[in-house]
Amino acid sequence: MNEAHTSNQSAKREAQLREAFSLQVQTGNRDHAIQFARLLLKEFASAKTYRYLGKVVSSESVVDFGLKPYRIALLSSFSIEFMKDALFALGVANGLLIDFYQTGFGAFRQEILNPSSGLYQKPMDLTILAVEGEDWLPEIYGRYTLYSSNLITIKENFKHELTGLLEKFRSYSHSPILIHDLAQPLYCLLGIAEGSNQLGQRELVHDLNKLLHELCSRYSDAFVVNYQTLVSRVGGNHWYDLRMKHYARFPLSQEAIGELAREYMKYCRSLLGYSKKCLVVDLDNTLWGGVLGEDGLEGIKLGPTYPGSAFIDFQQQILGLHSRGVILAVASKNNQQDVEEVFAKHSSMILRRTDFSAFEVHWNAKVESLKHIAYQLNIGLEHMVFVDDNPVECEQVRMHLPMVTVILLPPQPEQYSQALLEEGWFDTVSISTEDIKRSALYEQRAQAEALRETSTDLEGFYRDLDMTLDFSPVSAKNLARAAQLTQKTNQFNATTRRYTEGEITKCLHDPAWITAVVSVTDRFGDNGIVGLMLAHLAEQELIIDTFLLSCRVIGRTVETAMLAYLCEIAGSVNAKELIGEIIPTQKNPPVRDLFERHGFALDNTGETGNSYWRLNCETSKVEYPAWFKFIKNQ
Amino acid sequence: MENNIEQKIKLVMSDILNIPEDLINESTASDNTDGWDSGNHIQLIVALEEEFSINFDVTEFESMLSYMDILKLVKAKL
Repeated sequence: MNEAHTSNQSAKREAQLREAFSLQVQTGNRDHAIQFARLLLKEFASAKTYRYLGKVVSSESVVDFGLKPYRIALLSSFSIEFMKDALFALGVANGLLIDFYQTGFGAFRQEILNPSSGLYQKPMDLTILAVEGEDWLPEIYGRYTLYSSNLITIKENFKHELTGLLEKFRSYSHSPILIHDLAQPLYCLLGIAEGSNQLGQRELVHDLNKLLHELCSRYSDAFVVNYQTLVSRVGGNHWYDLRMKHYARFPLSQEAIGELAREYMKYCRSLLGYSKKCLVVDLDNTLWGGVLGEDGLEGIKLGPTYPGSAFIDFQQQILGLHSRGVILAVASKNNQQDVEEVFAKHSSMILRRTDFSAFEVHWNAKVESLKHIAYQLNIGLEHMVFVDDNPVECEQVRMHLPMVTVILLPPQPEQYSQALLEEGWFDTVSISTEDIKRSALYEQRAQAEALRETSTDLEGFYRDLDMTLDFSPVSAKNLARAAQLTQKTNQFNATTRRYTEGEITKCLHDPAWITAVVSVTDRFGDNGIVGLMLAHLAEQELIIDTFLLSCRVIGRTVETAMLAYLCEIAGSVNAKELIGEIIPTQKNPPVRDLFERHGFALDNTGETGNSYWRLNCETSKVEYPAWFKFIKNQ
Repeated sequence: MENNIEQKIKLVMSDILNIPEDLINESTASDNTDGWDSGNHIQLIVALEEEFSINFDVTEFESMLSYMDILKLVKAKL
């Protein structure tokens, strides 16, 4: 009876979510549709839900509602088409409308090696090479015996084949490529003697994976999928479905499909600049158990025994994210003084007050708090993740700020960390030194803002900042950061063109292109590389393709110095005019008047609203502001 | 209860094979139904397993080639 009751409720909830999703799709509310798709996938993860999302979005009556078209090539040693429904559905939940290119299982080698294969006929946004270890190297999996094992040859062959494939792929395609690493065999031939013997399979797989990582790091935009981590997370016995392996040439279980599709999405988000940057947390029953206002400093649950221990674990995970560059903020309904006391006095607090760049502790609506945090930190709401244990707060944020990613914590605090980490919202394909420094940078920014308030005049403020600008051409050293800037910068970005490392590398080999990254050091510290310029010479015009500046140094006239630098370069390559372009987006109002402010004349306006600007740099070049020191590398 | 099972199977088949539910009847089989190909057959198996929380063996995969076969097999497992 009880069971029937719950199952009825659950069916009702599913029907409601489906209806809501379908309605948002029909009415073209992308962000709300995405929220409902995520709820359906979270609460009713199943092949049925994948199919449902796919059918609604692909239905003929649906007009374009703003999903980003995205082409994925699937290359595999198995029948990877059985993953399409899941991938498509997860794509929708991430704002993507995925179109697949796919060949028969096992044809991946021919497909990559043949320059006129279908793989290269259209540009792909992403290529996935999903090969099971057993299919690459049967001799070290199912066919492993101690008779046959010439381990050195196996390694050499693997290296040779992989190098050949990567080399060809890179010369025929600019698409980023994901390659699975090799999972460990579930049962090793040597059994309990494995590891004590050089002939062990485990060691061999480990070495081959190291080799794979090393080879991929030599090519731009080649990334390893940590497949063996996924298999071990789910557990090998649940990951594989041996019935399907033999019957359908598809070795994965339904659970594995979901996990793997989710993993691919982390790469898509990162490559598209959709990775989240800021984590906003609630306090009561989130960072600690209990309600501070009622239980008091001594009464909240945070300490060595359960449930306090679970909250400590959760704080540790948040601190870990912070250490790799995630900005932290608080949105809590509490008395600020009580909260300050916890941070100052509670001996079990892992997170410090200074780890948080924004602190919204009061009794106003959280929707307002989130907006204020976004404004203060200069971070788009779509780059924010909001975590709360209260379903009502979560629902309000979903409804009023659908671009925010919302995590409703489960009732059990020991499950908080998984809820926070499972989607990999903050994951990026690479972690740069800038990422690691970022949190500190945002604190510096807050200090610089405070200085601006005390400096009486703006020029005095600029001088007080004691800024040094470093201009360097893009090179292997800073390529990853340059690509990352194009992918992540939204506000002060004149054209918002997203580039992969591969695409920027093409510019480096072309003498018509001029590239420069800009680093800024001020009296509060080194901000790292914060600006990028890409321009190309056409006859006597230097055309600015990309001009962007990270929001953390906006408002310091760095852009003026960058334009002055371009004028100087224009002179040295005999270009008479500098041509700027503004492609308006929702995010980039701060950059729109860039060229106008610096004396460029409006040349013409395109049909899609983009405008072109012209400056004669022989007669009216932009001058360097007097308050900067410069380092110019050639 | 019995009807419920039949209804659920028809719903699943309709979803996977893209045919209206009321066209699925005692004579529906893979050899007279467009779209019941080997790829959809796998999807159908997975969907039935999901719907009824049951598991089929590979030998059973090969015997589930009509609505009636499926009904019989599912009933036997519930």
